[in-house]
Amino acid sequence: MTTANQATIKDQVRQFIREELASAKGISTFRDDESLMANGVIDSLGVFRLVTFMEENLGVRVGDEEIRAENLESVDKIEQLILSKIKKN
Amino acid sequence: MDFAWTDEQAAFRKEVIRFAQQELNDDMIRRDHDSEFSRSHWNKCADFGIQGLPVPQEYGGGGADTLTTLCALEALGYGCRDNGFLFSLNAHMWTTEIPITAFGSEAQKRRYLPKLISGEWIGLHAMTEPGAGSDAYSLRTRAARKGNCYVLNGTKTFATNAEHGDLFIIFANVDPDLNPNGVSAFLVEKGTPGLIVGKKLHKMGLRTSPIGEIALVDCEIPAENLLDKEGSGQAIFTTSMEWERTCIMASHLGMMQRVMETCIKYARERSQFGQPIGKFSAIGNKIADMDVRLETGRLLLYKAAWLKSQGRHPLRESSIAKLYVSEACIQSCLDAIQIHGGYGYMTDYQIERELRDAVAGKIYSGTSEIQRVIIAGLHGF
Ligand SMILES: Cc1cc2nc3c(=O)[nH]c(=O)nc-3n(C[C@H](O)[C@H](O)[C@H](O)COP(=O)(O)OP(=O)(O)OC[C@H]3O[C@@H](n4cnc5c(N)ncnc54)[C@H](O)[C@@H]3O)c2cc1C
Repeated sequence: MTTANQATIKDQVRQFIREELASAKGISTFRDDESLMANGVIDSLGVFRLVTFMEENLGVRVGDEEIRAENLESVDKIEQLILSKIKKN
Repeated sequence: MDFAWTDEQAAFRKEVIRFAQQELNDDMIRRDHDSEFSRSHWNKCADFGIQGLPVPQEYGGGGADTLTTLCALEALGYGCRDNGFLFSLNAHMWTTEIPITAFGSEAQKRRYLPKLISGEWIGLHAMTEPGAGSDAYSLRTRAARKGNCYVLNGTKTFATNAEHGDLFIIFANVDPDLNPNGVSAFLVEKGTPGLIVGKKLHKMGLRTSPIGEIALVDCEIPAENLLDKEGSGQAIFTTSMEWERTCIMASHLGMMQRVMETCIKYARERSQFGQPIGKFSAIGNKIADMDVRLETGRLLLYKAAWLKSQGRHPLRESSIAKLYVSEACIQSCLDAIQIHGGYGYMTDYQIERELRDAVAGKIYSGTSEIQRVIIAGLHGF
């Protein structure tokens, strides 16, 4: 995994969250380390939209037991989860 | 795309139908009338291997894949007229066995799965509360950490299997400030002081499936009975619901096929105005509509199950399938009563019971309205 690819993944995650989840809640900016669950950007349905996005657009499979705040609550954590999966493959 | 069952699945399907028809249908009208749950049928299903189907072999289960499991549940729905019993069985499998399989520690899996598979123990989950139904995560049951224990306090309602339950998965919030992210799941064994199973509730249909209230009064359980981690409640509940929506609806499909076949037979045999009633297009069309619903439901459900078997999260697909099949089933049961005329309305013909049983499908595992909320929500609304 090159740094460029890594940046692309993070960009894609950020863009998805901004356009698909945050804008509907009237939020346009957020930090990469900010808890998007605490501020309501990622609600219970948002979690599944995010997982579907990861599965369909980034080609990673997310296990049932991985769908939890500690893996998905911020852009940084989502990126870590994706990278850990890509490394395993 | 392959729309056929494999030879093994087709043979298994036949075997399940034969088992269900021979073993699970006795005394049905009386048991429905008396709201009687059959423990002996439960044990027979366990001996046959139903409860163990989706659980890995290392814990004593059958290790069946998602589609084979779905195939068996559909076959049960076709062969077994006791929809209430199948509902209890589904609740046990998807809301107790599956969460323990997916989220349990090794010790929890070893302690609970063999008992749940063998029929010795009956499981259930209790999410719904008097004030928290569709808005499930607004639950008020609390879990407070006290040394090596959690203390649970709250009230649950509409808990399927409560009366006969041996293992209760109780959803409670460890920190209300975290809102849904504080919701956690706890394994509570029957007999734990402070776990009080309240009165059995009487209902319109699914009468052979017991349902009741639960009170938790300073109910102290060891900290190791937390399922997974604090805050995992949403993931656990959604996993259960995804399975339940897909597999309970498989039993609905089996039931829809059984009801349709009963109607076809009746429409051939019953004559009015000198001809079988099926020759009247008004009746033939109803049977055609039943068939269209059955086939459409199958496609939707099989797709959701197929996605699940690929390790995907078919929240959208299972919501669409649940919404469609539950509503289609009710309409087909209404049509079945109409085809049978006055006889269909009579208890002895066992069609009116199917309708009473079907109505609950629009309510449990998320109401029809909530399925629409989920589907629209996944499109960003
Ligand atoms: C047979 C049966 C078995 C069950 N088994 C269990 C079990 O084992 N464990 C368990 O925890 N629960 C169980 N339940 C409870 C079930 O999950 C709830 O009944 C269901 O979630 C609805 O909650 P409610 O009954 O409080 O209705 P409410 O949530 O009060 O809904 C009332 C009406 O308002 C509608 N509504 C609510 N919110 C919205 C919205 N946002 N948009 C549009 N419409 C809305 C609903 O669709 C419904 O029509 C069972 C229920 C039944 C009928």
